[in-house]
Amino acid sequence: MTAAELPVPGGGTGAATATPSLARRTAAVFARNKLALAGTVVLAGLLALCFLGPLFHPTDQVHTDLARANLAPGTGGHLLGTTDLGYDMLGRLMYGGRTSLEVGLAAGLLATLFGTVYGAVAGYFGGWLDAAMMRITDAALAIPALFLLVVVAAIVTPSKPVLILVIASVAWLSPARLIRGEALALRSRDYVHAMRLMGGGGGRAVFRHIVPNALGTVVVNATFQIADAILYVAYLSFLGLSIPPPAADWGSMLSAGITYTQVGHWWLIFPPGIAIVLVVAAFNFIGDGLRDAFDVRLRKD
Amino acid sequence: MGSRSTRIRTPLTAVGAALLALAVLAGCAVKTGKVTDVGATGGTRVEGGTAVMALPPAATPNWIFPIAAPGYLASYNSAIQNLLFLPLYTPEPKGDALTMDSPRNLARQPRYSDGNKTVTITLKPGYEWSDGEPVTARDVAFWFDLIKHNKKEWAGYSPGLLPDDVERFDVIGERTFRLRLSRAYNPAWFTANELQNFTALPAHAWNPHDESPKAVFARLVQHAERLSQFATDPLWKTVDGPWTLAKWNTSGQVTLVPNKKYRGPDKPHLDRVVLKPFTTSESEFNVLRAGGVDYGYIPPSVMERSDTFEELGYRIDPWEGWAITYLVLNFHHPVAGPMLRQGYLRQALQHLIDQESISRVIWHGSADPTLGPVPASLLDRDPYPYDPAAAKRLLARHGWRAPAGDRDGVLRCARAGTGPGECGKDIARGQELRLELLTQSGSTETSNTMQEIKSSFGRAGVALDIRQQTLNTVLGTTVPCKSTEPVCSAWQVGFFGTQGSWYFPVNPSGEQLFATGAPSNMGNWSDPETDWLIKATEFSDDPGALRDYGHRVAAQLPVLWTPNPAYQVSVIRNDLRGIDQNPTLTLAPQDWYFVRKGGRENWPAS
Repeated sequence: MTAAELPVPGGGTGAATATPSLARRTAAVFARNKLALAGTVVLAGLLALCFLGPLFHPTDQVHTDLARANLAPGTGGHLLGTTDLGYDMLGRLMYGGRTSLEVGLAAGLLATLFGTVYGAVAGYFGGWLDAAMMRITDAALAIPALFLLVVVAAIVTPSKPVLILVIASVAWLSPARLIRGEALALRSRDYVHAMRLMGGGGGRAVFRHIVPNALGTVVVNATFQIADAILYVAYLSFLGLSIPPPAADWGSMLSAGITYTQVGHWWLIFPPGIAIVLVVAAFNFIGDGLRDAFDVRLRKD
Repeated sequence: MGSRSTRIRTPLTAVGAALLALAVLAGCAVKTGKVTDVGATGGTRVEGGTAVMALPPAATPNWIFPIAAPGYLASYNSAIQNLLFLPLYTPEPKGDALTMDSPRNLARQPRYSDGNKTVTITLKPGYEWSDGEPVTARDVAFWFDLIKHNKKEWAGYSPGLLPDDVERFDVIGERTFRLRLSRAYNPAWFTANELQNFTALPAHAWNPHDESPKAVFARLVQHAERLSQFATDPLWKTVDGPWTLAKWNTSGQVTLVPNKKYRGPDKPHLDRVVLKPFTTSESEFNVLRAGGVDYGYIPPSVMERSDTFEELGYRIDPWEGWAITYLVLNFHHPVAGPMLRQGYLRQALQHLIDQESISRVIWHGSADPTLGPVPASLLDRDPYPYDPAAAKRLLARHGWRAPAGDRDGVLRCARAGTGPGECGKDIARGQELRLELLTQSGSTETSNTMQEIKSSFGRAGVALDIRQQTLNTVLGTTVPCKSTEPVCSAWQVGFFGTQGSWYFPVNPSGEQLFATGAPSNMGNWSDPETDWLIKATEFSDDPGALRDYGHRVAAQLPVLWTPNPAYQVSVIRNDLRGIDQNPTLTLAPQDWYFVRKGGRENWPAS
C-alpha cells in the first residue's frame, strides 16, 4: 500500500490537505499505546543492561572463584550476590542476557524471513505447489516443537549458531501459514494483475508486491516470534541443552538457581526469571502495539 | 512455533502468573507438617510397621534371578536378590575397612590349605528354605554348575576368574564342600572378590527333575524375564533369606515381607518394606517433603538447610560408597592420546584440580578427595596436591609456551621432541594443549565441578572444552578401544562419576580396572609394573601388595582423581532406626525398626 492523498472528510473550505506518511501515522498510533511504549522502554533498558552494562560493571565471567561462592546480595561488593561458582550475579545477568537476546532475536528474525518468503511463494503461485508446500507445513506443525528441539539439541553440541538454526527450523511454520493467507488475498489485487499484464514474473510479484504489502503482518509476527524464540532458548537451557559452560543464558541461570530453592538463595532465581518475563512481555506489548498501528480496522481515528 | 491462539491475551495476567510461578519455585510453597514427634535418639522400640525406601532416580529393579544376565547387574537388583537368596559371604564394615566376616554369612569362614590351592567351606547349621528343606552344600554346587556351564551368559564373568579358576568342586558332606583352585591365590583376595559371588540356590525346587545345567539355566532365565510375574511365580517363592516377595510392579516398586522360616540371627522387625522407584530426583524430593517416603535422599545443595528436614522429623546421613571417582583419559585417542601419555602432563593436570575446595564448596562437604586407586586410608599422602604454580612449571619445563602477545592464551608446544625439556613423543611443534571432556549431564554438582576444573585448567593455559551428554551416552562412548577404531576418536576425557566412578570389590585390587585389557579399563591404560602389582594382590598373601599397587597407580595417574561424592545424602525419619548404610550398597532392612515416643530404646542386639 502506498501513501495517497485522501479527501478530507467534511472539509469546510474544500481545500485538500496532505496527510502524514504511513510511517508517521503508524508511529503516532503506536505512541498512543501506553503498554507498547512501556514495552519499548523495558526492552531498551534490557538491551542497554546486557550490551552496555559490562562497560560500567566489568566482571570475570569465565573463571570461577570458589572462595567467593554463594555470597548474598550486597556483600563483598556484589550488588546481586554471587553464584554457586563465585561469578558476580549482576555481571552474569548481563553476560547471560546477551546470549538469550542474540539467539532469540536472530532465531525469531530468521524464522520470520524464511516463513514469509515460503508463505508468499505458496500463496502467490497457488495450485499444486501451494498444496504441497502447505502439507509440508502441516506435517511439521503436527510434531511438538519442544520434542524436536530436545532431540536435535541432544544430537549436536549446542552453540549460538546451532541454537539459532535449531530454533528457527521449527519457528518458521507459523509465519509461513500467516503470510500465505495474506498472499492469497493480495494476488487478486488490481496492481498485481497489472504487473502480470505488463510481463512481470512470479519473483517480481512476490518480492516487489506481495511481501512489501504484507509488511505490517510480518513485523507484528516477528515480535511474537522473537519472544517465543527467547522462551525456547530458556526452555532448552532449563533442560540442560544450552551452550556449554562457562557460557550462560537466562534459562541456564534459572535452571542452576532452582537447585538452591530450598536453601533460600533467591538471588539466583529471581533476576534471570524476572528478566525472561520482562523481555517476553516487552516483545508482546510491542507486538500488540504494532498490530494496532498497522491494522486500519483497529485505528481509533 | 505453535498457534498464536493459545497466547495469553492479557499480558498483565501473564506477567502475574509467571511471577507467581517464580515465587512458588523460590520456595514459598506451603510448609508440610512434622512426620514424627520422636527425636533422632530416644523412644520405645516397637515391632511391626511398614518402611518406604526411595530407590535412586531412574533405578527400576528388573531382575530377581541371583545369576545376573548382561545388562541386569545393577546394585539395586543384587541388593534385593541378597535379601531373598543368601550369599555365603557378605561384606561388613569394620572401622575403615571391609571384612567378609559377617554374622549374616550363610557359611563359616573358609579354610585354605595345600599352599592356598584348596578351600574348604562349611555352611552354618540350621538354615532352611521357606518350604522346610534344609540348605545344603548341593545347593551351592547347583549354583556353581549353573555359572560354570553358562559363564558367557553370566554378567559377572571375567575370563580367568570365576569359574575358570576353580578346577574342581567337591561336595564332601551335607553342609561342606571343597574347591580345588587352578593355582595358589591370596586367601583375603579370593574370599573377598571370588567367594562373595557364591550363593545357595534351591536345587530341589528349581531342578526337581535333574535337568542339565544348560537346560535348567535357560528355563530359569525365561522365568526371570517375566517381570510382571515375579511376585506370583512359585519358582521365586522358595527362599532362604530374611525376606520374601509380596509385590513387584512392572514400574519397579518392590514390596517385601518377612520370611517366617528364616533361621538366621537377623530376623526382620518390620511387617513390610517397600522399595519405591522414582524417575527423577526432583520427583523423589517432592514426595519426601510431603512425607511419602521414610528413607529417601536430597541433593547435596540442600545439606546447608538440613535443619529444615530436622524440624520436619528427619535426620541427614550421607551414604559413603566404597568407591573412587576420576576423569578417564583416553590414551588411544589419535590427537589427545600422545599428550595424555606424557607423565609430566598428567601430573600438571592433577596439580590443577582443587579437590579440597570442590568437595567443600560444590559438593557441600558430601564428597572427599580421591587420592589413588584404593581407599584413602591405604594411602599416606596426596602425591599431586593442588598447586597451580607447580603445574605451570612442569608445563614450561617441557616446552609448552603461550602464544606471543597473548600471555593468557592456550599453550602450544614450542619444543617438539623426546629429549629432556621437550614436549614428548608424537607431539608436533605448535600443537595446542586443548582437551575435550565428555561428561554426564543432569547434576548441578557435577556440572559445577567440571566448570571449576575448566577454569583452573584455563588459568594455566590448558583449554578444556566441555560436552555434556546423558549418563547412558557417556557410558556407551567411553569404552576401551583400539586407536584405529572410530569410537576411540569420539572422546578424549570422560566423566561418569556423579555417584562415584568405580565401586570396589571388597578387596580393592585393580584386576578389573587398571590391568592391561581389563573390562573397566576405559582409558586403555597399560603399564607392565601395574599389571605385575595387580597380580601380586591376587596371588600373594603379603598385606603390603595392595599398598604397593595403590602407591604405584596413585603416582602414575592413569586417570585424574576428582572428589568422590557420597552415593547419596540420605534423609531418614527419626523414628526409623537400625539403618546401617553399607558402603558396598547392600541393604539390610531386617535390622530396621520403628520407635515410638516415650521411654528409651531397649532392644537385644541381633
